[in-house]
Amino acid sequence: MMTIPKSTSGARILTAAAAVSIAAMALTACGGPGTGSAGPSVEAGSGEGTINVWAVDGQAAENDALKKIISSFESSQSKIKVNLKLFPSDQYTKAVNSAAPGDLPDVLDFDGPTLASFVYNGKMAPLKGSVSDATLSNQTDSIKAQNTVDNAAYGVGMMNAGLALWGNKKLLNAAGVAYPTTPEKAWTAEEFTGVLDKLATVVPGGKPLDLSEQYGFAGEWGTCCSAGPVIWSGGGTMLKDNKASGALDSEANVKSLTKFASWKKFTDPNADGLAFTNGRVALSWVGHWTYPTYKALGSDLVSIPLPNFGKGTKTASGTFAWGMGATTKNGTAAGKFLDFLMSDESVHTYTDANGAPPATKTSLATSSLYGPGKQLQLLGDQLSKACGTEDKINDNCVSVTRPVTAGYPVVTDQVGKAEAAIYAGKDAKEALSAAARAIDQNFADNDGYKK
Amino acid sequence: MKRTHRWQTALHYLILTAVALFFFLPVYYLIVGSFRPSTEVLSGLSGFVPTNLSVENYIGVFDHLSSDATGYFGQFAVVSIIVTTAVVAGSLFVNSMAAYSFARMQWRGKKVLFLLVIVLTIIPFEAVALPLYFMFSGQRDTIYIQAIPFMANAFSIFLFYTFFLDVPGEIEEAARLDGAGPFRTFFQVIVPITKPAFATVAILTFLAQWGSYLWPVLMVSDPTVRPLPLAISIFQNQQPPEWGQVLAFGTMFIVPVLAVFLIFQRWFVASISSSAVKG
Amino acid sequence: MTTQTQQIQAPTVPARRRSSAGLSGHRFAGPLFASPALLGLAIFLVAPFVLAVVLSFYRVQLNSPRPARFVGFEQYARLFTDPDLAAAFGQALLNNFSFALIVVPVQTVLALALAVLVNRKLRGMVIFRTFIFMPLVFPLALTAVIWRLIYSRGDQGLLNAILGLFSGGTLSSHDWLGDPATALGSIIVMSIWQSVSFQMIIVLAALQSVPTELYEAASLDRASKWAQFINVTVPGIRNTLIFVALITTIFSFRLFDQVYLLSRSGSVDRGSTETVMTQIINTGFDNNNVGQAAAMTVIFMLIITVIAIIQRAAARQRGGV
Repeated sequence: MMTIPKSTSGARILTAAAAVSIAAMALTACGGPGTGSAGPSVEAGSGEGTINVWAVDGQAAENDALKKIISSFESSQSKIKVNLKLFPSDQYTKAVNSAAPGDLPDVLDFDGPTLASFVYNGKMAPLKGSVSDATLSNQTDSIKAQNTVDNAAYGVGMMNAGLALWGNKKLLNAAGVAYPTTPEKAWTAEEFTGVLDKLATVVPGGKPLDLSEQYGFAGEWGTCCSAGPVIWSGGGTMLKDNKASGALDSEANVKSLTKFASWKKFTDPNADGLAFTNGRVALSWVGHWTYPTYKALGSDLVSIPLPNFGKGTKTASGTFAWGMGATTKNGTAAGKFLDFLMSDESVHTYTDANGAPPATKTSLATSSLYGPGKQLQLLGDQLSKACGTEDKINDNCVSVTRPVTAGYPVVTDQVGKAEAAIYAGKDAKEALSAAARAIDQNFADNDGYKK
Repeated sequence: MKRTHRWQTALHYLILTAVALFFFLPVYYLIVGSFRPSTEVLSGLSGFVPTNLSVENYIGVFDHLSSDATGYFGQFAVVSIIVTTAVVAGSLFVNSMAAYSFARMQWRGKKVLFLLVIVLTIIPFEAVALPLYFMFSGQRDTIYIQAIPFMANAFSIFLFYTFFLDVPGEIEEAARLDGAGPFRTFFQVIVPITKPAFATVAILTFLAQWGSYLWPVLMVSDPTVRPLPLAISIFQNQQPPEWGQVLAFGTMFIVPVLAVFLIFQRWFVASISSSAVKG
Repeated sequence: MTTQTQQIQAPTVPARRRSSAGLSGHRFAGPLFASPALLGLAIFLVAPFVLAVVLSFYRVQLNSPRPARFVGFEQYARLFTDPDLAAAFGQALLNNFSFALIVVPVQTVLALALAVLVNRKLRGMVIFRTFIFMPLVFPLALTAVIWRLIYSRGDQGLLNAILGLFSGGTLSSHDWLGDPATALGSIIVMSIWQSVSFQMIIVLAALQSVPTELYEAASLDRASKWAQFINVTVPGIRNTLIFVALITTIFSFRLFDQVYLLSRSGSVDRGSTETVMTQIINTGFDNNNVGQAAAMTVIFMLIITVIAIIQRAAARQRGGV
């Protein structure tokens, strides 16, 4: 008894630790972060009470608009109160993904391409039956495509997203550059290089282009709005039949992205976000959300289609939309709130704040920015020429929906990483092949994300 | 002789100034930038020139964080203070006791366990963040889960241990003859004479915890329990990025710490010094 | 039951053999004192590490409804045989090692130089010291933001503006973080700015504890200042320098926050700055691949352990720590 070998307490500690770990494993096997619930279990509820709403802490103007909409919702009726929570955008997806089923909110904001993985992970409920049919049928086609998974609508959107090359007419004229205003006439990538050459002489720093580098190509911006349009316009895709090898690393993509990276020498890093408004650059490759600041240029602000890499100009569509938590006990009240969000008045309040194209048919028709002869007509036209998903691209359509797959988190991480590397000077073939293999490996490990 | 001496001193000051500039310029840039419009923060050398000063950025920060939905700056600060204080207090308590036991008491299995503690000093927290997240996902969005995992710390035990080794045995002997038990001996006799050790561990723990980023990102989504470091990204994601507000937020984040630090500087240097020589 | 006194260093206590009976009636005091901390370490460090080992034998996705699948050593096999993974992991390891190889000697020497610099009793020294300490209180999230602005590409960036001023505009638009050649170096400078003062304090304390008689003796021998420094100062603080090198090594393998935050800004080739830690978090949380991340963790911990053992042994052999 007296001579216990020295190591026993150490061994005991390890045994205890192992026991704790195994207990933890057991925990995670039933309700930890590793498990989705067994599908949505929505209850209609009484249609009264307080609903929890989660959203991304966006631009100050968007937050104010959202709060305004909520307060008018609360004053329009007396039965439903809204409890809003805002999350920093870099932490939002993690928050939704790691919420236990009981902690999910009744209504949540989500970024279009994350929807498929949220649905796959059992975080979202289909809207039919809670949201009115009138609301669902009033959604524009391209936003419908984004919010539909397995033929069921999981989200409704107030806004769509549009990309363009914003141009400074004064500088363009000074360099003697004629610019296209319709998608059919977009500059080819070759012509674009020549245009940059000319423009370099009229801007103070000699770098006439802004590619929104400040957002970081290694993240969602790189996939959606930078690499995406370049790849699609060059005739390539990110995935083909759920596989990246042979699609993402195709010769066409290598060529397009190498071309894109060659413009780095003309590019202002725009860390302050002011390159365009301060006149340091003549062209800015960015989304509609800069319109509220860019409109300071007045009539000198023009929108130009993105360069054409061979298969016509392409842009990404899809953005943040609204859905219901998988386990809401207040389906009716949540539906009422979503209906209110999608009313013309709410949509206008919101899209006026951020310059986005409205995503409901009725508010698009009455928009003061989007429509024939309006200042942002081009962005609206691009969205009306919707291609749908990658596999349906042709020469004449313009806006493409990002791949709808539960494996999107991996796709975006790898595509963004590859684009950033190519832009920093890495060989495109190498970067894209590595990304493609990583994506395929992940899909294989998850049986192609089939239910 | 005299002349070279004076020349040497001048050179010494010159080098000192250059070095101090390297360390101080980013700090200066942070503080000055926080009082200037976002549009002027990133404009080459003029970023250093204190023109157009105003408190607009500070007002902007408080304006953005002004409702239950976003949470409030004060609330984040309180969370950070509570968590940091709890970790520092807990860490001083449990790690000093363990170190004392390892350094001055005899018991079976002690050596093996102490070796294990030494091995554990090299496991960085980030390495176990994922499994820890798995284990405690049920405790997300609480204050205690932000603090408790960081109280026991192998490196702190090691630091305390080196101190307690040097306590003369007669002191304990005297306490024992007075009839003091181990608890009284430790708290009434040992703790008072090893204050520098406690100061060192408190400071190191505070600095590590105050800026803690990864764990809260994984475990916190509710604004009511959000610590300060998580809120900084809100201002970077504005359009255009509100660099001025980011810097204002940062200034409010470090100035209180800097002030405390300056007040206790002498004491801090003295305590680190006394623990370091033992290393 | 005779037990050794536990002194690792030369005992300062008169070596009285005292059994635990020295605390008679308190047989459990030792384990009792140690238990709260040990329990904490067991639950929050050992258990998750063991769990990481367990997870590394599974294919398991974060937040996914799919059950974990046992795959034996597959994750390890992939890590060493899959050309992409092996290359990426190798690159991250290489970055870690380059970082450590540069930072450990440079930061130790700098700490020594700074300590010597502020050790002179000159007027105003407290102010200079304060400036050098300031970065210590910066949380990493904030450090990353400020240095991102400093390193900004183009002539708007502060560093480029300063260099442009001194070089008459010839060196004014380098892409510090975006160019793979300078990315790691930029992060190294930032790390040194942040933490060298801590090492400096430690060295400073050691400097002040070198007996003055030794210097006096050296002066009598007409040794130059430099010779004194090499023959008296450095040997006198050797142990401290080794200690500093040790903790710097451990910290440089932990490198995470700065890189993680910086690599997501601007146009950075993540491969050129990725450390093993950022790769683990990226694999686990951005690609949701928990099993793979766990396998990386296990391998990495093995590597660090080996390094630590070698370092300690080397230090011991030279009569140090």
